[in-house]
Amino acid sequence: MIAGSEFKLKYAGSVFGYAWSVAKPLALFTVLYLVFARIFKLGAISDYYAVSLLLGIVLFGLFSDATSLGMTSLVARESLLRKLVFPRLVIPMAATITAGLTFLVNLMVVAGFVAWEQVTPRLDWLLVIPLLVELYSFTLGLALILATLFVRFRDMGQVWELGLQLLFYASPIIYPIGFLPPFARDLVFLNPFTQVLQDIRALVLYPDLPGNTITAGEAFETFGRLIPIGIAAATLVIGLLLFKREEPWFAERV
Amino acid sequence: MSRPVIDVSGVSKAFRLPHERRTTLKEHVLHPFHRTTYEVQQALDDVSFTVQEGEFFGIIGPNGSGKSTLLKILAGIYRQDSGTVRVDGRLSPFIELGVGFNPELTARDNVRINGTLLGLGKAELEDRFDAIFEFAGLERFIDQKLKNFSSGMHVRLAYSIAIQVEFDVLLLDEVLAVGDAEFQEKCFATFLGFRDQRKTIVLVTHGVETLTELADCVLLLRAGRVEALGDAPEVVARYQGQLVV
Repeated sequence: MIAGSEFKLKYAGSVFGYAWSVAKPLALFTVLYLVFARIFKLGAISDYYAVSLLLGIVLFGLFSDATSLGMTSLVARESLLRKLVFPRLVIPMAATITAGLTFLVNLMVVAGFVAWEQVTPRLDWLLVIPLLVELYSFTLGLALILATLFVRFRDMGQVWELGLQLLFYASPIIYPIGFLPPFARDLVFLNPFTQVLQDIRALVLYPDLPGNTITAGEAFETFGRLIPIGIAAATLVIGLLLFKREEPWFAERV
Repeated sequence: MSRPVIDVSGVSKAFRLPHERRTTLKEHVLHPFHRTTYEVQQALDDVSFTVQEGEFFGIIGPNGSGKSTLLKILAGIYRQDSGTVRVDGRLSPFIELGVGFNPELTARDNVRINGTLLGLGKAELEDRFDAIFEFAGLERFIDQKLKNFSSGMHVRLAYSIAIQVEFDVLLLDEVLAVGDAEFQEKCFATFLGFRDQRKTIVLVTHGVETLTELADCVLLLRAGRVEALGDAPEVVARYQGQLVV
């Protein structure tokens, strides 16, 4: 309920609120597509390079929006913290849900591209939902950790901005994961974001072309996806515990 | 018979105010052994009192005497360093009015958001929507943006939402400062209504007239200590007497 009002608040001031949320990833997509598909000819490696790229950008948009909005949310809503009694968890939750709603709007655009590529819909696309739940849990966990730290160290803002930039290039968004040497690939697959992205790509775009994509399941043979899924779950648990521990002090420290 | 709803015993609270605030990592990394010097501000020092059910309890004191800190501890926004606070019954979740008001939104939207923040359900809010605006006397301005409201209108709207919230104990910090005579009369009337319903009110204020008129019991704070506690006229007289001296 409160998340709903937060979402309303976010777009209340700006006329083009919703439009901007679609325009930003599309603009980034256009630039990256022109550079990498047209100039570096990465488009040749797969029929679906464009959709695959856009999917990566939109998913990363969710990850980056939710973590950075979540991080600053407590400080931004300082007056609520100081004057109102309510579960503090609501604030970062609302911030991540706001990012989630923007993501859902963007997902429509991706769906448009998928339809345009004339991929036949299948029932197992429903598996995308638990994958998104996993990504959201991971993101929320990170947002809680960052929000707690940000109350004490304001330059977490700078640190995380850099962190996001590194993670963007350390994830197979622009390039196919097959371009990485095996050790780097395993490292990158430790990030639940990479696992989710690759799984969704494999599920939606490459069901008939198994050679074109690699998922975490293939990278870590024995434990497979359990490794990044475990990391995502652990992040959420650590985030919740840390947040609960620091909760009583937010009002006076913020 | 009356029973205590709020029981505060031996509550102390100190704020550490760093002289040079270190909030960035760089400062922590570059000067790991350079300890920040703190000035300890003893906001509350061994405060004890009880409030009976249905009582109108006033808190007065000069600026910086710890009134708002005490209220925040009662509300559970701050945590005391020592001592115990026991509150029996539902607390109102706010200590100030109009928290979360956004000047860019219309009065209608602000009432929805503020009401939600105060814990009103969607249906409850719809039911009471007209009552809120009627009480505030702002029916004409429902779809005006809040930034075009005067400060008096602001407070009237905020107060009208706040009294719709269900509570047993109402905590309020300085609310009657603005608003015209007619609205103040309305507020007094609601206060008296709350008293008839055996609801407890704790009010932090500088308005001593209000307290002499309404309060059953007044607590005078000075520098975080209880200086006087008792019947409204006596304590208020003592507070005003100090002002003269």
